Amino acid sequence: MSLPKETIRALESIVGPQYVSEDPVVCQVYARGGYGKDIVLGRGNLKPACVVLPGSTEEVQSIVKLANRYKTPFVPVGTFWFNSCGPYRENVISIDLKRMNKIEIDDRNMYAVCEPYVIFSQLQHEAMKRGLYMMVPGGGAQVSVVNNVTGAGYSPLNYRIGGPQRRILGVEWVMPDGEILKLGSASMLKEYFWGEGPGPDLRGILRGPQGWQGGLGIFTKAAVKLYPFQPERLVPTGISPDTTLELPTKRMRRYNITYPDQPSLVKAMREVSKAEIGAAITKVPVMWRYRARSTSKEHFWELWKGAKEDLQKNTETILLVVIIGYTSEKQVEYEERVLTDIVTETGGTLRRTKQTDESWIKNADSAGMWWSAGGYISVKINVDSLDHALKSGRDAAALKKKYLEGAVDDYGDPGWFQISSFGHEGYNEFLVEFDATSDPKVSHRIDNFYVDAVKQDVKEGCYSGMQMSYGPVGITGPAYGDHHILLKEIKEMFDPGYLSNPPRPFEFDEKIERECPWVKKDW
Amino acid sequence: MALVLENHRYDADRCIRCGGCKWVDHIYMGHPRWGVKCPSIARYLFDPYAAYGRLQLALGLMDGELEITPSFVDAVFQCQLCGACDVGCKRNLDLEIQDTLMALRQRVVDKGKGPLPGHKKAAGNIESTWNIFGSRKKERFSWMPSGIQPAAKADVLYWAGCYPAYTQSETAQATVKLLKAAGVDFAVLGESEWCCGQMLFTTGQTELALKVAQHNIDAIKASGAKTVLTSCPECLTALKVEYPKLLGKSTSDMPYQVVHLTEFMEPLVKNGAIKLNKPLPMRVTYHDPCHLSRMSEPWVQWEGTRGQYGVLQPPKQWRRGTNGVYQQPRNIMGAIPGLELVEMQRTRENAFCCGAGGGVREGLNDFALWTAQERLTEAKETAGTNTLVLACPHCKANFTDAIKKSGDNMKVYDIAELMVKALSQGKEA
Ligand SMILES: Cc1cc2nc3c(=O)[nH]c(=O)nc-3n(C[C@H](O)[C@H](O)[C@H](O)COP(=O)(O)OP(=O)(O)OC[C@H]3O[C@@H](n4cnc5c(N)ncnc54)[C@H](O)[C@@H]3O)c2cc1C
Ligand code: SF4
Ligand code: SF4
Repeated sequence: MSLPKETIRALESIVGPQYVSEDPVVCQVYARGGYGKDIVLGRGNLKPACVVLPGSTEEVQSIVKLANRYKTPFVPVGTFWFNSCGPYRENVISIDLKRMNKIEIDDRNMYAVCEPYVIFSQLQHEAMKRGLYMMVPGGGAQVSVVNNVTGAGYSPLNYRIGGPQRRILGVEWVMPDGEILKLGSASMLKEYFWGEGPGPDLRGILRGPQGWQGGLGIFTKAAVKLYPFQPERLVPTGISPDTTLELPTKRMRRYNITYPDQPSLVKAMREVSKAEIGAAITKVPVMWRYRARSTSKEHFWELWKGAKEDLQKNTETILLVVIIGYTSEKQVEYEERVLTDIVTETGGTLRRTKQTDESWIKNADSAGMWWSAGGYISVKINVDSLDHALKSGRDAAALKKKYLEGAVDDYGDPGWFQISSFGHEGYNEFLVEFDATSDPKVSHRIDNFYVDAVKQDVKEGCYSGMQMSYGPVGITGPAYGDHHILLKEIKEMFDPGYLSNPPRPFEFDEKIERECPWVKKDW
Repeated sequence: MALVLENHRYDADRCIRCGGCKWVDHIYMGHPRWGVKCPSIARYLFDPYAAYGRLQLALGLMDGELEITPSFVDAVFQCQLCGACDVGCKRNLDLEIQDTLMALRQRVVDKGKGPLPGHKKAAGNIESTWNIFGSRKKERFSWMPSGIQPAAKADVLYWAGCYPAYTQSETAQATVKLLKAAGVDFAVLGESEWCCGQMLFTTGQTELALKVAQHNIDAIKASGAKTVLTSCPECLTALKVEYPKLLGKSTSDMPYQVVHLTEFMEPLVKNGAIKLNKPLPMRVTYHDPCHLSRMSEPWVQWEGTRGQYGVLQPPKQWRRGTNGVYQQPRNIMGAIPGLELVEMQRTRENAFCCGAGGGVREGLNDFALWTAQERLTEAKETAGTNTLVLACPHCKANFTDAIKKSGDNMKVYDIAELMVKALSQGKEA
C-alpha cells in the first residue's frame, strides 16, 4: 500500500514535509480505534497509505482537491472515537485534524466557532467562564464539537436545550470535490451567528440521519449555539480517579429518585417535563449504581453477581434529575418544590445524593462502558418518542437473552433512557458489554445481536436512530421511506467518485456481504 | 524481574482510544492550548506519539505486523514515561499503561535496537564512576556546607542523588540546612551512594540497573538507617518503586522506608519544629514533579491470573496516582508569609512534565528542552508569574537549561531553597 511519490510530494508541499508521513509505524496507528473494533461489523482494519496533518481550511481544501485529482480516497480523523476513522479501502489518505483546534466565542451573541479539534470539555470551560453553557454528549467530553453536532449530539442536558439540529449555526464545509461551501450567515456575512441564512442552509443534508461520518467531505468550522447558564462557579475537586465538579447548590441541585417500577418512573418523567422544570433528566440502569459503589472491576463483579437474585425480584429503577437556577436562586427553590410534589404524587423516593457532577456537565464517563467487561457496543440508540424509546429498550432486553453467552447479564434492565426538548423527544440507548478476548464467537454473536436489534426496531415500528447511520442501510432504508435511495443519490451527487471515506454510508451492508458469514443476510 | 511485553497484551488490546491518556482530566480541562498533558503527542502530533498509539505499536510488534525500525524506536523513546497517561487511563479503565510502555522499551532493547546513544553514554558514566555525569566519585559529597557535619550513624539517611551532588548542589545544601534547623541528625553514604539508576530502569538497561539497585540496597542496609530521605523524586521512585519491582517484591518488603524532603518536612512545619517565619513577598507557581506526585505511590507486587471479563484473581492493589505527594509542598509554601502560590492550568496529576524523565534528557535532549519551554510558557501565561518552584533537582536542571537556551526571564527554585530563605533569622546554618 503506497501512494505515488508524486502524490506524497504534493501533499508535502501543501502542509510541509513534517506533517506528512507514510511510515508504516505511523500508518499502523490510524487503522483502528476503540469503539466498534470488537465486532466484525464495527469496521475494516486497513492501514492508510499516508497520514497528513493540515493546519488550516485552505490546506484541507488543497488535500481534498489533490485526492480528487489522483482519484485517491481520503478519511478525515477527529479524535478517533468512532472506528469509522479507520480506512475501509486500500491506499487512503488519512487526514488527521489535530492541528485545527481554534475556538472563538462571541459571548454577546452567544455562540462559539470551533475548528474540528476543539473538544467539549474545552468548549464548556470557555463557555462557563462567560456565564454560558452547552451540552456535553454522553459519549464523551473528549470528542470533537464539530463532529458531534454534525453527527450525533445527545446528552441529558438536551432535556432543556433540545436536539442537536438546533444548535448548529454557520458551517464551513470542504465538500468531497474540494470546493468550500459556507452555510447560513457564514456564507454572505462571514459571520457564523445564524444557521438559516442569509445564504444556503443545507444542515439537513449535512447531518443526514445521524451524520455522514466523513462520507460527505470535511467540516472545517462550525458555530454552535451557547445557552445562558447560572453565574456561580462549579469547583473542580479531587484527585484522579475521584475528580468531580462541586455544584453551587444555591443555583444547581442534583436529585437521585428511586421508583418501585418503570411505569411510575416514566410517569414522573412526563410530569416533570409537563411542568417544564429541570435541566436534565435521565433513567439510569441499576448496574451503574453498583459501579459507582465499587472500587475496582473485581469489586464490582463481587457486588454485581451477588445482586442477581435481589434485582430479578426487585424492579426498582433510578431517575436522576438536575435543576439549574438559570435566572435566580428562587427558580431552584420553586423547581425543587414542584419536583418534590411530583415525586410524592408518582410514588418515588428522593434519596440523598452528592451535590457534585462527574458525568453530565463537563465530563462524560463513556469510557466506563468498557470497564466491566473490556468490550462494549450500543446495539440500539433510538431517537423517537418516549413511548418508542421505552418499547425499544424493553424489546432489546428481551432479545438480549438470546445473546448472553460471553456478555454481561444486566438482569433484564431496559437500558438508559432520557428525554429532550421537555419530553417532546425520547431517547433510549441499550448497551451490551462483553468479553471479546477469549473467544471470537462472542464477537460474532454480538454482530448478530446488532443486526437483530435493527430488525426488531423495524418490525416493532421503533425508529432505529443510530442504526440509520451505523447499521445495514439495506434493512433500515426500505423500512424508513426508502432513505437508502436518497442517501445514495446525495452521496453520488456530492461525491460521484466515492472518495470521501468510502464506502460510507454503505459499509455495514458491504461488510455483512463480504466478511460476516455468521450474519444471515435475509433482506 | 524485567517486564515482559506479552504480559501486557490485555492492557494494549483493551485500549479504547478515549484519549484519557493525553487529555487533561475533563473536570480540570481549560483552554485547548493547555488541553493535552502528554508532552510527546503535544510535540509530535502523529498518533504513535501518544500512549494509545504506542499500545498499538506494541500489538503490532507482538503480532508480527511491525518491525523495530528507526521510526519505531523513535516513537518508543520520545516519551518521558511521565505517568500522565497511566493515571489518566486508570481514571476509567485500570489498564497498566506505564508498565506496558516500559515493557515495550525493554523489548526494543532486548532485540538490540535500543537504547539510544545518549542512554548508553550515561550508562557508561554510571558504570565507570557510579554517577550519571561521569564526575569524580570522591566528590559526591563535596558540596556539604562547612559547619554541617553528618553523623556517622543515624536513623535518617540523606540520599543526595547525582543531580544534587554534582550540578544542583544548592538543593542538597538547602536540604541539609533544613535538617540542621529542624534538629534532625542525619547520616550520608558518601562514596557508597551510587547513582539510583532510574535512567537505567526507564531505558531498559536492566542488567546494570539491577547491579546498582543491589549495591544501593546493601549500602542502605549496612548504614542501619530506618528512613532514607531524598530531595530527588527520581531517586525516590528508583528506591521506592523500581527496586522492588525489579526484585519481584513490594515496597513494604524493602529493608528501608524512603521519603521525599517535602513529606518529611511538612509535619515539622506544621508542628513548629521548623519555622518558616521570614516573609517572602513573591508570586510563584508550583510544578508537580511526575515522580513525586502521580508516580510516587508504593509498588505492590501482584501475581495472579486474568479471568473472564478481564477480572483479576486475586484482586490487585492499583497505583492510580491518587496518593502521590501533591499537597505537602503546597502546605509548606502556604506556611511562608507573603508567598502567593498561583496554580498553572495543568496541575497535580494533570501536570505537564518538565521534559527530563524517561531518558529523554540524556537521549533526546532537544525534546527535553522543548517540553521544559512549554511548561515555562504555561507558568507565565496561565499563572501570570515568572517564578517557578519545584521539588526536583532533575526538573530544575532541565528548566535551567531551557532558560539558558531561550533566554527566558523565568526564575526557578527548588522548594528547599525557598524554605531556607524563609527560615527564621538565625536558624539558617
Ligand atoms: C462509546 C461511544 C458513546 C457515544 N455516546 C454518545 C452520546 O451519548 N451522545 C452523542 O451525541 N454521541 C455519542 N457518541 C458519538 C460521538 O459523540 C461521536 O462519535 C463523536 O462526535 C465523534 O467525535 P470524534 O472527534 O471522535 O470523531 P471521529 O471518531 O474522529 O470521527 C467520526 C467520523 O467522522 C468523520 N470525521 C472526523 N472529522 C470530521 C470532520 N471534521 N468532518 C467530517 N467528518 C469527520 C470520521 O471520518 C469518522 O468517520 C458516542 C460514541 C461512542 C464511541
Ligand atoms: S486512556 Fe487508556 S484506554 Fe483511553 S486511549 Fe489512553 S490508553 Fe487507551
Ligand atoms: S509517559 Fe508521558 S510522555 Fe509518555 S506517553 Fe505517557 S503521557 Fe506521554
